[in-house]
Amino acid sequence: MAEQETAADPILAPSSSSSPLSVRTTKPGTKRLLVTLSILLSGLVFLPIFYKSTEIYRSPLPFSSISSLSSHLHSLRPPIPTLLHVLFIRSHPIDSTDSQRISDLIILDLQSRTKSQVSVSISAHSGEGLESLDLSDDEAMDAFLLGMVDASVYTVVVVERAVKGNAKVVVGKHRHAWVVGLVEESEVARVISGVFWKYFVNGGREDGEMVGGEEGDALPVGSDGSLVLSFSLLNADPSDGVYDWDIQKTDRVLAPILESLAPIANITVESQVLYHAPKSSISNWDDRLHSYALSTSALPFFVNSNEWHLDTSIAAPGRSKVLQFVVYIPSATEWPLVLQFPNGETSQTNSFVSPMWGGVVVWNPPESSRNVQKPHFGKHIISTEDLQKIFQVFVGQLRVLFGLRSNNLDDAEIGVTKFLATPKGFTAWELDVLHRRHTYLNLLSCASTLDSLSKLVKSLPRMIIMDEIGKQVKLSVEVASLAQNYASHGVYNASAVSSRNARALAEDAFYHPSIMSISYSSFEHTIAIYMPFFVPVSLQVLIAAKKELTRYKRERAKYLASSA
Amino acid sequence: MIMGQPWILLLLLLLAISPPSHSSTVHNNNWAVLVCTSRFWFNYRHMANTLSLYRTVKRLGIPDERIILMLADDMACNARNSYPAQVFNNENHMLNLYGDNVEVDYRGYEVTVENFLRVLTGRHETAVPRSKRLLSDEGSHILVYMTGHGGDEFLKFQDNEELQSHDLADAVKQMKEKHRFKELLIMVDTCQAATLFSQLQSPGVLAIGSSKKGENSYSHHLDSDIGVSVVDRFTYYTLAFFEKLNMYSNASLSSLFNSYDSHLLMSTASYREDLYGRPLSEVPVTNFFGSVMKTFHTDFAYTGFSMESEPHISLVSETNSRRILESENAQTEAANDNAKDNCPFHAWLKVLEDKLDNENAEKLVLYGLGSMVLLLAISTLLSV
Repeated sequence: MAEQETAADPILAPSSSSSPLSVRTTKPGTKRLLVTLSILLSGLVFLPIFYKSTEIYRSPLPFSSISSLSSHLHSLRPPIPTLLHVLFIRSHPIDSTDSQRISDLIILDLQSRTKSQVSVSISAHSGEGLESLDLSDDEAMDAFLLGMVDASVYTVVVVERAVKGNAKVVVGKHRHAWVVGLVEESEVARVISGVFWKYFVNGGREDGEMVGGEEGDALPVGSDGSLVLSFSLLNADPSDGVYDWDIQKTDRVLAPILESLAPIANITVESQVLYHAPKSSISNWDDRLHSYALSTSALPFFVNSNEWHLDTSIAAPGRSKVLQFVVYIPSATEWPLVLQFPNGETSQTNSFVSPMWGGVVVWNPPESSRNVQKPHFGKHIISTEDLQKIFQVFVGQLRVLFGLRSNNLDDAEIGVTKFLATPKGFTAWELDVLHRRHTYLNLLSCASTLDSLSKLVKSLPRMIIMDEIGKQVKLSVEVASLAQNYASHGVYNASAVSSRNARALAEDAFYHPSIMSISYSSFEHTIAIYMPFFVPVSLQVLIAAKKELTRYKRERAKYLASSA
Repeated sequence: MIMGQPWILLLLLLLAISPPSHSSTVHNNNWAVLVCTSRFWFNYRHMANTLSLYRTVKRLGIPDERIILMLADDMACNARNSYPAQVFNNENHMLNLYGDNVEVDYRGYEVTVENFLRVLTGRHETAVPRSKRLLSDEGSHILVYMTGHGGDEFLKFQDNEELQSHDLADAVKQMKEKHRFKELLIMVDTCQAATLFSQLQSPGVLAIGSSKKGENSYSHHLDSDIGVSVVDRFTYYTLAFFEKLNMYSNASLSSLFNSYDSHLLMSTASYREDLYGRPLSEVPVTNFFGSVMKTFHTDFAYTGFSMESEPHISLVSETNSRRILESENAQTEAANDNAKDNCPFHAWLKVLEDKLDNENAEKLVLYGLGSMVLLLAISTLLSV
């Protein structure tokens, strides 16, 4: 169109320019001017519509709530229980001055350990029914006390009975511990505050370790909140006989453990048997031990990642975490294989863990000690007793991987003589500790992920943000505040679940596949793309419009001059 | 106890002052991303370079599941390969790089800039398996090795697209933002390799390239049996350095970097260490090229249960909250569909599409052409 206009111009031009002073009697027509101007105008109208159409869709993210959440969470301290109940079982009731004195003693002792405020309540009970109990039967005692105390509050029961020898301090399976014996008040207060602070609050770890520390920071749970426990049986050399296991039997052991860990992670279990899987470090024959000894300093090179095809990837979705638990059966030429410490002693469990990876148990078949010379061909099944021993070590390792001690035997510093173990693998107070720890770390990770995402989104103004991401972020923020709510009300398992979900949602939003750096073009890029389309056309249109306007003005001036 | 008090108070004070930082985490695992970006038979050496590096890091202890291997073409099965299913990096043919246990994660046309950046940033579709993902964390040391044809601030992928230095820097920045590595070593064997690092700005990154700006990187030697060059100079001398080492070794990065002789390379190997916090002479090469597992002995078994007579408790399955989200999405999508149906423009478009699908589509096209001619006629009439 524009070219037509400009082409039409020279035809008219000579007639007007050849006789510049010629007189115009008719009014100049506006048709040509209107056509050119209408094209220009429609172009101008179209421009903002076009610009709008090239705009990239960005779902609005709740930046303010993200920043308020993260600033709140970064100042967050790990949730700490603030209630301690002390129950005295004695024949005479306790009067208020006594109870005040004891609670003052406990609070004073606690203040040497922490700055946080703990309120201590004290009551007394005559202890009917206790006479029939054998005080040395800890399991029965634990069950008896469970019916007597409030199960949701950390309780230390002091049974004032004379016992032979020293007083006994037992930490039970639930949220209570008890002291049996006649102990003076200051000592009782020290034991109570020690048990409460070191075990009920910190899970047996040293003060402050729970927050960060070497292996404390990372959780053995995938960023999507799932965890795969992979059990592998490795036959180093099957030519000397093949060992198999009846893995179905371990279901009975694992089911309660998985149930108790359910709030922390979405756990699945898989198992496999591998053959021809030798280790990669070398052992030496030790005459004194009558076995092949492997120094614990060589353990970092034990796992042979080229031959041990442990990661099957089938049960594990994209971002989950796999913990490997490996039973290693050495070849017959290395029977029996023991792990030896630098001081010459051998390992009791014949096993080791690697943080965030899993654990290995070296298992010597029963045949190995009887007759080393003769290999035992054929297929063998690991006996139930042996399998139980192996899985007891595995559960110990699982506890270590989660940051607890493999087995609490006693603790002379605090004065605890015994810890009760539970078939669930984790006692109620240990689970509380884990829930609190995971809640805290999940929320921190969630906040830092959301922070990173909002930084990223702000720094790339032409990044596409899908609705799903906005929804995930919103939900994550909501669930995170829900988790904080639960934690502040002491509902630790619910807070662990919510914080896990908040973290998973934040990770999902951050790792959303639609965010790809090569797909967002810069503003210069857009100009470079559209300029070749628009510049030639717009140039023609503008020039035509200008020419037409000047022509019309000139003609009009002529007409006005002649008519005047 | 009284002796312990000030110490505990000090600890608490320290904890109260310092927010839990991620920089304090220790190095606990190693990853390697090895990329060959070139197709075609005459680029045989690039695949051989990558496979040699793959073999080296595996030998030094990085397990296969922590190596992402990307090979743009399959030289082993190329029709012109006179040694089928074998790849050599030396004319003496002593070592078959394509021997046992080579696990290629991205092969052929899967090796794209997009996939490479997805591996680095971790943004995959949900269906992508674990073995194809870089599942590193804040305690990871990552080695990124790339070889191919490059130029000033770019590296060519598959002969049709480019990785720009900006893209690389941006991906690294995002990785740092999400704490996906503790330390990162980028090693590039290509022409003008050092230019690829110019945009990097994230702390903890160390980069080394085979040549400076304006320099070419050359191949080492030609194998007359295979008919092409089989290894590049920079990679050749890197491998020569590593052949002397085993996984117990503690040779430092500076000894590796100083081992490059610019006369032998015919280019200047240049590295960038201003973003990297530690002195190179104190960092063993196994920090990037190998993996040493951290182990602790297990002291006790947990003897709280027996396998004999415990009542069986069934597992409680949990509902996943994300599933709820997914179903919400499905609902909104359905709602969108409804909205589309209601919109008059969409309805009109749908009618048009239906018309086009029918056999009278030709008629429609004819009408369309006719109306265009009519419009043209009117406009010319107006302009006359």
